[in-house]
Amino acid sequence: MDVIQQLREQAKKLLEEKKVDLVIGFGQGTELARTTPVFIDSPEGVSALTWGPFCANNLAKYLTDYKNAEGNVAVVVKGCDARSVIRLLDDNQISRDKVVVIGVPCPGQLEWQKVAAEVKPGASLKETADNGESFSVKTDAGDYSFNKKDYMLHRCLVCENPNPVIADITIGKELPVKTYEERFAEVSELEQKSTEDKSAYWDKQFSRCLRCYACRNVCSVCTCQICVFDQMLPMWVSKRTNLSENTMFHITRAFHVAGRCVDCGECDRVCPMDIPLRKLNQKIHKDLGDLFDSPTPGSKPGIPSALGEFSPGDPEEFM
Amino acid sequence: MLKRLLEYVGFEPGRFQARWISGSEGAKFTTTIKDMTEKIKSLGPNKKMRDDIV
Repeated sequence: MDVIQQLREQAKKLLEEKKVDLVIGFGQGTELARTTPVFIDSPEGVSALTWGPFCANNLAKYLTDYKNAEGNVAVVVKGCDARSVIRLLDDNQISRDKVVVIGVPCPGQLEWQKVAAEVKPGASLKETADNGESFSVKTDAGDYSFNKKDYMLHRCLVCENPNPVIADITIGKELPVKTYEERFAEVSELEQKSTEDKSAYWDKQFSRCLRCYACRNVCSVCTCQICVFDQMLPMWVSKRTNLSENTMFHITRAFHVAGRCVDCGECDRVCPMDIPLRKLNQKIHKDLGDLFDSPTPGSKPGIPSALGEFSPGDPEEFM
Repeated sequence: MLKRLLEYVGFEPGRFQARWISGSEGAKFTTTIKDMTEKIKSLGPNKKMRDDIV
């Protein structure tokens, strides 16, 4: 039985047995290469659930919307999203007994724009399959094959947790975990550049920012009730969209999630201006590893946030 | 961490400094401020995140 079938059956069972009142999962979107989050509250609705290489969204974000709601919620997560769930639990944002985690081991996600550019417009999706080095996508207008190296999301190429790190129900086979030495290759490359070059690089990126706040809205660990960027009194960051304020915004955003960011890469993916936000967050991950020997937040339950805890062995460069 | 991040986005090393100085460490305070002003003077005026650059 394939993953989609199992997923639907498990969701149906959970809803029928009243173990949960809502299942949050992926549903087929209006375009072939896109999925949309679906919120299912009745057993009849489970046929809307799908799974494949187009499920890039991190659905764990929605759990915080239901934290005060009555009833339980089930959520479909990939490996990276599962780190978000752990982080939310560790931050006491959600309670464990109200959430059922349906984990699906994930072989990587394709970049939908790249796929959409190749596939015949208007074609509808029949089937997808993972062939190790590539994905095959069957449509009613022919079959396609997309090799992972060129078509996968950047973040998936150095995936740390293909298997969900927390799950009540796991669907599908566990995948081999690889370690990537070059995980921070892009960050290291940029670090080596001169101050002027680094400044010019980021000025070019930040000056394009629209301040749409999609990066903040999609972030699973941005859980503040009142966001510093929305606050008017005091106005910590001005609403003006210029290079200076945009730089302030991006440094603040990255630093606010330092030590909690689970490196799911959603901010980077949703940015309409293609600002490489993950390069900022990854710089922090690299430093956390170098200075505090801290693993990726959320990769194990109960790891304290490196910046939220003091230990006598911490480096003290400012003394 | 913040210092590293700032240098990563293109601030000059030394532009941002942080020191822990206790209330009883007057001498450390003077030397720190002296060093800091010297460093900042040698770097010249800050070019990043200024209101006059739009």
